[in-house]
Amino acid sequence: MIVARLTVVAVGLSLAVGVTGRPASAALDFFIGARTVVKDAPLSACNGKARDALISVLGKAAEYGDTGNWEGLGATDASGNSFAAAAVHCYPLDAVHGYLVTLTCAAQTPPATESASVICGKLATAFGGQQ
Amino acid sequence: MTGNIRRGAIVAIGLLAALVWCGSEAPASVDIAAGIRHVSQEGTQTDCGAKARASLDAFLQDAQESSPGSGDWVAHSTNGIAGTPTATAAVRCYGLPTGYVVTFTCVVQLPDNPYTADALCLDVAHKFYGGAITALAALPTPTPVPTGCATTNLVGTWVSDSDSKLTFTMDLTGNVTDSEGVSGNWGLKGNTVTFTYYGNHTLTLSPDGKHMSGGGYSLTRKC
Repeated sequence: MIVARLTVVAVGLSLAVGVTGRPASAALDFFIGARTVVKDAPLSACNGKARDALISVLGKAAEYGDTGNWEGLGATDASGNSFAAAAVHCYPLDAVHGYLVTLTCAAQTPPATESASVICGKLATAFGGQQ
Repeated sequence: MTGNIRRGAIVAIGLLAALVWCGSEAPASVDIAAGIRHVSQEGTQTDCGAKARASLDAFLQDAQESSPGSGDWVAHSTNGIAGTPTATAAVRCYGLPTGYVVTFTCVVQLPDNPYTADALCLDVAHKFYGGAITALAALPTPTPVPTGCATTNLVGTWVSDSDSKLTFTMDLTGNVTDSEGVSGNWGLKGNTVTFTYYGNHTLTLSPDGKHMSGGGYSLTRKC
């Protein structure tokens, strides 16, 4: 009987901690990432690298139609919410036979564990590191 | 007897679990829009920057170039319920041999922000190069912290009448923290106070909102 009572008390206390331990308010973190001009490379190369970099860093990538504008979203929780996102814009530059690429990132911290600047840094590395 | 204990335990767990559930904040998520790009056959990056700034400031505030001459402009919303901006947008300009190219990227925090990233970006872009503008809902303002000895809440600092070194800070969300960092909760219905602090205590709030006593406690509010 004593064990049962202690169990009830223990459960009650642990749940009470849950009541008072509310999550901290989330803040929107935004970062203007790199802007790069790549010479002598087709726009399709930019699009391929954008897709692969977004998938490798965030897990999901989608292009808006056939525009060269890409967005990526981080992993979702059980309710389908994502806490990290990024945009990659590819635009052809005829003058250099290449393209312009820009990175822009966002994170909601908490619960996101990485800041927007870290996400953009990883994206730049993933994009630049591809052949 | 064992059955009563079990039933009591189940009831207690249910009640406390409900409290935990009710006390949790709704999960928020990041919403992004990055699909709009505009190419102008005339004008310079400086022209683009001026329009970027004006377009951003039309819906957000504090539009600034991320670094001088970069052509990257950013602005954010006013503070939302949580006291921080819930919407941000970037307009990035790049000069071409003739004209410029500009991209629009918007991010909002849902459900705290009352409009989507798509709605924001569409308005900013239309402001920039022309198009229909749809009014965006105003952000809910943070709840101001009550001051004075209101009789509708217990927010403020309370001092024990029997020990002036013992104080309790009560906040808007029903939390109580004493002068040694021990936490609890408060509730108020009419003039009846539920004070959860080393157990549950029932106190009565005075008509002027300055005193409460009962359950072994007598407290006076600083106001």
